[in-house]
Amino acid sequence: MRSIRTIVAVLAAALAGVALAACGSSESGAGAGGGKVSVLVPKGYQSPATESLSGKRGGTLEVLQEADFEHLDPGISYFALDYTEVFATQRPLYSNKPNADETVPDMAASKPEISANNKTITVHLREGVHFSPPVDREVTSEDVAYAIERGANPNVANPYLQTYFSSIEGMPHANGGPVKGIETPNKHEIVFHLTEPKGFFVAEALCLPLTAAVPKEYAEKFDRNKPSNYYAYQVATGPYMLKNDAEGKVLGIGYVPGKSATLVRNPKWNPKTDFRPAYLNEIDIKIGGTQAVIDRQVLEGSNVVQNEPVAQSAVKLAAEHYKSQLSLSPGAGNRYVALNNKVGPFKNVDLRKAVFAAIDRAALDRERGGELVSNVATHFIYPTIPGFEQAGGLNGPKLDYDEHPEGDMAVAEKYMKLAGYPSGKYTGTNTVQVVGASDTPEKEDAEIVNQTLKSLGFHTKLTLVEIATMYAKYCDAPKEEIEVCPTVGWIADFADPQTVLRPTFDGNAIVSTGNVNYGQVNIPSVNAAMQAAEAVQGKEARAKAWAKIDDKLIENAVAVPYDWEKAPRLEGKDVHGVAMLWNEGAWDYSFTSLK
Amino acid sequence: MSASAAEILPAGGGGGLDFLDAGGALARSPLQLFWRRFRRDRVALASLAFIVFLIVIAVAAPLVVSILGLPGPNVQNLNLTDAFGSPLGPSLAHPFGVDSLGEDVMSRVIYGTRVSLEVGLGGTAISTAIGVLIGMLAGFYRGWLDMLLSRLMDVVLSIPVLLLGLGLGAACGVRGCVKGLISPGLATIVFIIALANWPYVARIVRGLVLSMREREFIDASRALGASDARIMFREILPNLTAPIIVYASLLVPTNILLEAALSYLGVGIRPPTASWGQMLAAASPIFNTAWWYMVFPGAALLLTVLAFNLLGDGLQDALNPRNAR
Amino acid sequence: MIRYVIRRLLWGVVLLIVVAALTFVLFRVLPSANPALLRAGRDPNPGLVKNIEALLGLNKSLPEQFWDYMKEIFLHFQFGYSYYSQESVRSLIGGRLSATVSLTVGAAALWILGGMSVGVISALRRHKLADRLAMGGALVAISAPEFWLGFVFLLLFASDIGKFRILPGAGSYVGLTSDPWKWFTSLIMPWIVLAAGSAAIFARLMRSSLSETMGEDYIRTARAKGLPERRVVRHGIRAAINPIITLFGLEVGVLLGSAVLVESVFNIPGIGELNYKAIQQSDFPVTQGTVLLASLFIIVANIVVDVAYAYLDPRVRYS
Repeated sequence: MRSIRTIVAVLAAALAGVALAACGSSESGAGAGGGKVSVLVPKGYQSPATESLSGKRGGTLEVLQEADFEHLDPGISYFALDYTEVFATQRPLYSNKPNADETVPDMAASKPEISANNKTITVHLREGVHFSPPVDREVTSEDVAYAIERGANPNVANPYLQTYFSSIEGMPHANGGPVKGIETPNKHEIVFHLTEPKGFFVAEALCLPLTAAVPKEYAEKFDRNKPSNYYAYQVATGPYMLKNDAEGKVLGIGYVPGKSATLVRNPKWNPKTDFRPAYLNEIDIKIGGTQAVIDRQVLEGSNVVQNEPVAQSAVKLAAEHYKSQLSLSPGAGNRYVALNNKVGPFKNVDLRKAVFAAIDRAALDRERGGELVSNVATHFIYPTIPGFEQAGGLNGPKLDYDEHPEGDMAVAEKYMKLAGYPSGKYTGTNTVQVVGASDTPEKEDAEIVNQTLKSLGFHTKLTLVEIATMYAKYCDAPKEEIEVCPTVGWIADFADPQTVLRPTFDGNAIVSTGNVNYGQVNIPSVNAAMQAAEAVQGKEARAKAWAKIDDKLIENAVAVPYDWEKAPRLEGKDVHGVAMLWNEGAWDYSFTSLK
Repeated sequence: MSASAAEILPAGGGGGLDFLDAGGALARSPLQLFWRRFRRDRVALASLAFIVFLIVIAVAAPLVVSILGLPGPNVQNLNLTDAFGSPLGPSLAHPFGVDSLGEDVMSRVIYGTRVSLEVGLGGTAISTAIGVLIGMLAGFYRGWLDMLLSRLMDVVLSIPVLLLGLGLGAACGVRGCVKGLISPGLATIVFIIALANWPYVARIVRGLVLSMREREFIDASRALGASDARIMFREILPNLTAPIIVYASLLVPTNILLEAALSYLGVGIRPPTASWGQMLAAASPIFNTAWWYMVFPGAALLLTVLAFNLLGDGLQDALNPRNAR
Repeated sequence: MIRYVIRRLLWGVVLLIVVAALTFVLFRVLPSANPALLRAGRDPNPGLVKNIEALLGLNKSLPEQFWDYMKEIFLHFQFGYSYYSQESVRSLIGGRLSATVSLTVGAAALWILGGMSVGVISALRRHKLADRLAMGGALVAISAPEFWLGFVFLLLFASDIGKFRILPGAGSYVGLTSDPWKWFTSLIMPWIVLAAGSAAIFARLMRSSLSETMGEDYIRTARAKGLPERRVVRHGIRAAINPIITLFGLEVGVLLGSAVLVESVFNIPGIGELNYKAIQQSDFPVTQGTVLLASLFIIVANIVVDVAYAYLDPRVRYS
């Protein structure tokens, strides 16, 4: 079913002001290790790094999608699957070309101008961009201002607003009305005034869909509903729009929840103002079904794609018979087994190392489709993120419990003994709670980890629940004191190693609900190192500094990384699919075409 | 809701009591008559034998597995999946192949017998017990008690069982229900089955008791000063045994299938416990790459359900000679 | 007669109210997760969760929520709004109703006609080959789980992934009005799968009931009097029909439940699928709405059955 795990990690570097490579910087994240990336994808398969962006105009693409969208309102949307639709219809200030991590000006006309004191950001907007019918008129800076301001409206409740934009003057107490720090001196200019010197960081966040223009006079009546139903009447600025009627209603026409979504060309879109080619005439999304069946239908069908993680049996089928229809996208995040560092037997670092050594990480990856779609992870920073090579690359740090991807019981026993269990097996009385997701392949991975723990002598209680519940009710909640969450993962928001390591392993990032430091890792020396590394400037230096932290985390076996994802996607034989490197390798409807 | 259970659902009467009248001058007890007839039905005997065989396997599962030289049902052997994670097929070491965790399918099918029989027999037994009790009370006392209980039956019968089970399974499947008394897994399923099935039994029993009330032997007992409880449990209940057994034997396969359906929908038996329904759920979408995973548990399920259905038919035929086939 | 009908209808309404209360208890008092927490997603800071709880009305006391809920249903005929899409449950269900109705009515027709004709033939040709084959097939049909059967069909006959590509595969359902032929062909396999079990039960019941009736004395008399066999059989069927009618009321519930499985396997955008997803997402309004709807159908079906009985057997009216 749903793979909530594939969320763009919004909590990223937001914990404190961070000088990251700003949106629109010419320093490319995908470039670092770009050559190495192609090694990770064997010959004969597609990948964003090698795909061509040209195509033939015309035709209708069918998309078979198992899960429904979560939020299609650009002011709320934050899942990778939602992004596949939102980024075809909405134009944030900055966004990404499919095969690059760096962002380019989208609604903006040029890179953001950041004042010398890092407290003011000025963005010039493009001219000649119009809203789709029924609004029709040109987009102005006021529309961008409203789009961001409505995020604070409790009826909209954007989930990452305060995280990224709280330093804008007046934002912490905003509730939907005009915000003091957002100024619109003229129709095509928007200025952000910050209360702290976090200009670089906030400028980066301008590539989020919250910044996609929303026409106030049209939307505010919907935003008055509790909750807002603007999504049901949304207008578009991108090349496509959700089909609607004359009044602008999308719900029941262009989007039927649980059933279908239909994207048609936006008649008001001007291709001269956009880097998107928009080859397709229409995109019909059919929602529902079973992933394994969908995948087969796509492999054998025509003018059809799927846009979610591929089922394991279909990976095999594609690799054996339909190579050219499989796209792999390295750098789609990592997965690891979170061990509770605060409560329970895994407070003890040697027990953690024992579990690390014992787990057969290669087998965990095989459940997902094997080496083709996942590399065995030996540390946390994953390929395409700067710092990957510096942290040890594919082989990782030279530690005995990390050296054997298939698991090594001898090493595990050694650490059990060091932990004070001379028999090599745990003899304590604690029951270890293991909570995993109930969908394949997470279910199988959880069972494997469960079995490994048992073989080390632990008494375990395995609970498998729907993935959203797993996060919301168990793994995100420190008070539940779950000892092991084997199917958690992370994707960075930007190509900076801080966004991979800080939210997930900083002791200062632990919160009482929605906690993404699942293991409640809290090592003072590591916390201090993170604090220092945050302030480091320059890509190379940052990569080095954070790579050191990555290694330190592995030396403490804070969690057991096992997968560096190479998100697979399938296309029909006559589809020229273009995958989004920056969004989990999902197909980009604005660049995909039919052969 | 059950398969052929409704075949003996009286449209107003006790079809299962005919053998009481058929007696006449014969010296044999109804039980002996029944057994004679049953013995002659070869299909029913074969089914009975198969079911006994299943029970033996379920009870002695560990022994059977070790005799056959198979690994336990939850023993993962991660080397038995290929580079893509697809499981390997039947071989000498694993006659039914393995699943995606390398667990031996034959071993899991054998252990799965336990779950199916526990759910089928246990769940049916509980719901039958509840249904008999309530049906007897309703039929015996009539009046307002009957009205109340009948209405209660109506309410439960108005909710589709699968949806009810789905909701309960999802609700109770995470942290348990009734303050943790009903925990996720087997207990939840049995709870759902008991809850969903008792009205069917109760209705039939009620109907039977209603028609029995007027008979002479009841009056005779009353004249002798027997209490209500005594009449209910000593006089009426024994005469209900036959139809109850037949009905229960037809409920069993339905409940086994219900467990399979609930496991398919994800609210039934949870891993790593082996259950046929759960195995089928995991196997169905990948049938073409792992046919053994679907065929063997599917065949086991089919044969078991078939056997109970045939047994039920046989019992019914033996008890109601008029319907002799 | 009229009084009986009215009494039954009134009781039906009462039943519905009780069922509504029951589903409320079931799906809100035994929750698997706080839906506000689930909806808040990846950043459920306490403030946001509280906001959402207020939006969804979850911060009121349970009795208050229940009263609100009952009022909405019975006074305004509104079933609330989905926690996820905020679409009104009524329109969510309405949009999917035609798919489920297409599926269940077609299956019901197949089940009744198929079951009865097979049953009649079997009864008249007892112990012959046709009978044994039919009853054997029926047994197998009853014993196979629907979802398994569904996948077997898909993998055998689906035009996109099957071995013999003759029928449209999963997800090919379209509304009757948009493409009648495609609507029809896409439902053939689902109909068969859904109807198989119930048709088999009907066939067996018809067979046993008719066999019993045909052994009655008055049938022998009719034959002796020289009535053509066809009319004799018709008499038999009319007498044998009673248990079948009872069964119909019971099986409607089974059919609605099984529709969930079939819709899931064949990816038909019906109410069963909606309900299944809603339960996973703790989307209470949708779950309650769909269960209520299903119960309504069962109650109506049973009222029809009872009224039919009362018509056929006057004694029943006075019970």
